[in-house]
Amino acid sequence: MLIEQLINGLTLGSIYAIVALGFTLVFGVLGIINMAHGEIFMFGAFIGVILTTSLQAPLWVAFMSAIVITAMMGFLLEKFALRPLRNKQGVSHLAPLISTIGVSILLENLSHHLFGAGNHPFRASFAQISFEIGSVTIYLVQLVIFVISVILMMALSFWLGKTKAGKALRATAENLETASLLGVDTKRIITMTVIIASAMGGIAGILVGMAFNSVTPQMGLSMGLKGLAIIILGGMGNVKGAMAGGLILGLAETFIVVYGDSGYRDAIAFLAIIIILLIRPQGLFGQKISA
Amino acid sequence: MKVSLKKVAQFSVLSSLLVLAACGGGGEQATGEKEGQAAGGGVITADIGVISYISGPGAAYGEAITSGLKLAQKEINAKGDVEINLLIEDSAGKQDQALTAAQKLMNSENVTAIIGPTLSTEMNVVGPEADLNGVPIMGTSTTAEGIPQLGEYVFRNSIPEALAIPASMTKAIEKYGAKKVAILYGNDDVFTKSGFDTMKKAAEDMDLEILTIETFQKGQSDYNAQLTKIKGMNPDLILASALYNEGAVIMDQARKMGIDVPFVGGNGFNSPEVIKIAGDAANGLIVATPWYGEKDDSKVKEFVSKFEEEYGKKPDQFAAQAYDALYIYAEALKNAGEADRDAFRDALAQVKDFNGILGNFSFDDEGDVVMDPTVLIIEDGQFKEFN
Amino acid sequence: MLAELINPYYLQVASFVLINIILGISVYIPLSTGQLSLASAGFMGMGAYTSALLTIHFELPIVLGIIAGTLVAGIMGVLIGIPTLRLQGVYLAIVTLGFGEVIRVLFVNWESLTKGSVGLSGIPHMGREILASLREFGFNPQSLGLQNNQFIFLTIFFLLLVITAFIIWFFRRQHSSRVGRAFAAIKLDEKAAESMGINITYYKVLAFAQGAVIAGFAGALYAHVLAYISPADFAYHRAVEILVFTVFGGSEVIWGPVFGSLFLTLMPEVLRFISEYRYMLYGLIIIIMMAVRPQGLIDVHLLELLKSKTAKRRQKYGAGNQKSM
Repeated sequence: MLIEQLINGLTLGSIYAIVALGFTLVFGVLGIINMAHGEIFMFGAFIGVILTTSLQAPLWVAFMSAIVITAMMGFLLEKFALRPLRNKQGVSHLAPLISTIGVSILLENLSHHLFGAGNHPFRASFAQISFEIGSVTIYLVQLVIFVISVILMMALSFWLGKTKAGKALRATAENLETASLLGVDTKRIITMTVIIASAMGGIAGILVGMAFNSVTPQMGLSMGLKGLAIIILGGMGNVKGAMAGGLILGLAETFIVVYGDSGYRDAIAFLAIIIILLIRPQGLFGQKISA
Repeated sequence: MKVSLKKVAQFSVLSSLLVLAACGGGGEQATGEKEGQAAGGGVITADIGVISYISGPGAAYGEAITSGLKLAQKEINAKGDVEINLLIEDSAGKQDQALTAAQKLMNSENVTAIIGPTLSTEMNVVGPEADLNGVPIMGTSTTAEGIPQLGEYVFRNSIPEALAIPASMTKAIEKYGAKKVAILYGNDDVFTKSGFDTMKKAAEDMDLEILTIETFQKGQSDYNAQLTKIKGMNPDLILASALYNEGAVIMDQARKMGIDVPFVGGNGFNSPEVIKIAGDAANGLIVATPWYGEKDDSKVKEFVSKFEEEYGKKPDQFAAQAYDALYIYAEALKNAGEADRDAFRDALAQVKDFNGILGNFSFDDEGDVVMDPTVLIIEDGQFKEFN
Repeated sequence: MLAELINPYYLQVASFVLINIILGISVYIPLSTGQLSLASAGFMGMGAYTSALLTIHFELPIVLGIIAGTLVAGIMGVLIGIPTLRLQGVYLAIVTLGFGEVIRVLFVNWESLTKGSVGLSGIPHMGREILASLREFGFNPQSLGLQNNQFIFLTIFFLLLVITAFIIWFFRRQHSSRVGRAFAAIKLDEKAAESMGINITYYKVLAFAQGAVIAGFAGALYAHVLAYISPADFAYHRAVEILVFTVFGGSEVIWGPVFGSLFLTLMPEVLRFISEYRYMLYGLIIIIMMAVRPQGLIDVHLLELLKSKTAKRRQKYGAGNQKSM
């Protein structure tokens, strides 16, 4: 039983981690909390459902479409909700936060209209494949989710650390003006960051759809809030921290059900961030924040 | 100092003027005014207000309810005994909006009676206000405890959980000889929470051993942790108080995990959508319901075919309950002989052995439902009568 | 004649407008020191539950219940305000958001006290109680030519109007006082304010706690106007809604949240027929406002403009009006 719960926790944690990676990327570069990330994640899931169930498309097509469409949403988000606020005099640093809250409200209610309020099942034969080790049943999807989350984390770390684009991105994160003086096309970098983060949200969405066979317009909000908690837990803008934070939260939520009261499951994430921010504001794995 | 006081004065004068001006728009009303008159042909005309959950996450309920009402309205008006106008207002599932909608209907539109609101939480707010104003109000989907007890003018025709859940549990326990049960419910929703309270009480009354009580929250899509825990305890039955959207996913995840015991659900779990969402995993769900669409009854068959013709889909219990509700109103209106609120209330309370698509229906002294629910089980991807 | 004009529907809407104005102000006050707090819904819930529970179980008069609710929220505000001082901008927003969610989960789970998600019903209704106690003195609303429910809503409306007016008056006074100037200095530049000798800790906690007090107060009023509360009333969506009031109306001057709450509460009533699109419109409004007019509709500039216009008009149309003010 314990091993099964461990697998449950790791699966949930991996999904949280992928969502959090998208958050942390945008925060790392722009210093912005993208409150609409959860809703983009939800759209990714819906695109997966519609393509595989209604249009009978193969899974890889659904995957690619979800990535493309959520990437486009990221582009639009940057263009209409974030760019107008940049370099504007007298704009409070809270404006982008509020603006992305606006996007999240818009997207959630739009999805009510487009897809209906109900729950959409995700019919993919891939999600049915399972194998047994001893008495423990493991679904292939669970494994895939874990692997994808690790790959994404490593790819992101590598990309940020070793490639030219990654360096440009870090330079932009460090100081936007200096970077642009040094010849970095910061506008492109920022757009690219938001696009990549959104596409990762889309991937997470489709994985959740497959793993839990459930896609609803409300899933974005709860996932978005959890992702937010994780990046604070792991340290803002910290890729490995997001991964670790995701796994920790996933396991914690699972084990409070096992040993505690499942009613408080949703509160753990927020209790954790309140405590973390008061004791160690830079997060578990973050460096000291410079003001 | 002086300046700010002046500002405040200006503001208050302005806002009261604004409000008074707004009041002016509502012109010709006075509460409790008689509207309908027995005209030459003896047709009684009445305005019936409807408060429904039309926008937001629960919009599907409101859609079903208003569809059922409109169909009934068409048929009733075609018969010619009574002429019913429906005035439909949205509450978005929120108490404050339900209350303002009710105020609008009672005071601006001067309706004879109200149908709705959709949720028990909304009824908790609207019911006492309607009662105070002497406007009869009937819930078609409010199944929580204590609704008709809100006041003399508050009724419902939806079968309460307190009636439905014990009925399905008794039959399930008889059939499977269950002794140990696990309970799973959504604790942040009033509907599922009150269903759980009934379940727990019934389980205690029946001397069942409750192995564990697990909860889940709105927007959650991962129930594996709770289900794995339940699985480890080997219950004979799982009592799940969930709305069908979540319930179907729970069953799907449970079956994948290898939990194959039957589920007993509450009223909100009862929907053809469960089969659509969960597929084969839905087999073994037991619910008690006033509404059974496959019933071998000419009235039911006629309703189903008419509804499908009109809206292109099968009616669910919400549509059916709303449909019957308007017929009950029409009956009461006919008996009252006029569209007076008090006369209507008295006639409504007298409704007895009304034969609708839900079966034989009467009100008890408090305005609650007296009827026998049908217990259904999903087998081979279909709702069947459970014996 | 007057009696026919008083429609409880409009009074009900007006009452909600007033409560929302108070809520809008509860976000505006911390924001005037640069602190974005999303905890308003949580504090509102605490005020509402405290007052409701006290009046239900201990049969406390509503006034005392409301005062107690306000105090509890205020104390909580100080307790939360002090440790969160070191948090900047976004971090504060997230922690306060988290705080609100924790409070809600607590309401859901603490069933022995709050009845969980079923909610508390049978909370003494402000208007009905007033009527009942007036009746004891032999007063009858019919003597004014009013129906009972007309009288009830009229009392609630005027009570709320007086309260709201007082709150606006108070904060306008505070704005032009030493405290208000300190708030403004902190918002502009915290470090500079500190070097000028302003006690940042004190003023920031003060602003945060004032926000909490106001929100708790509004929550307590809400409980006694609606007579029923449940945890879902104080969830994330409520927090965002209150924020939108302030952001839309303007967060620079107090008339911003006042106007924002008035407009955004009335709009859905007027546009009931497009209610399905209401929240989409909300989202759009926020995005557009942030891009085009991040300070909100009403700002200092606009107020100046209005003032000079009215001043001109006064000059034109003589001093007669001024006397009557």
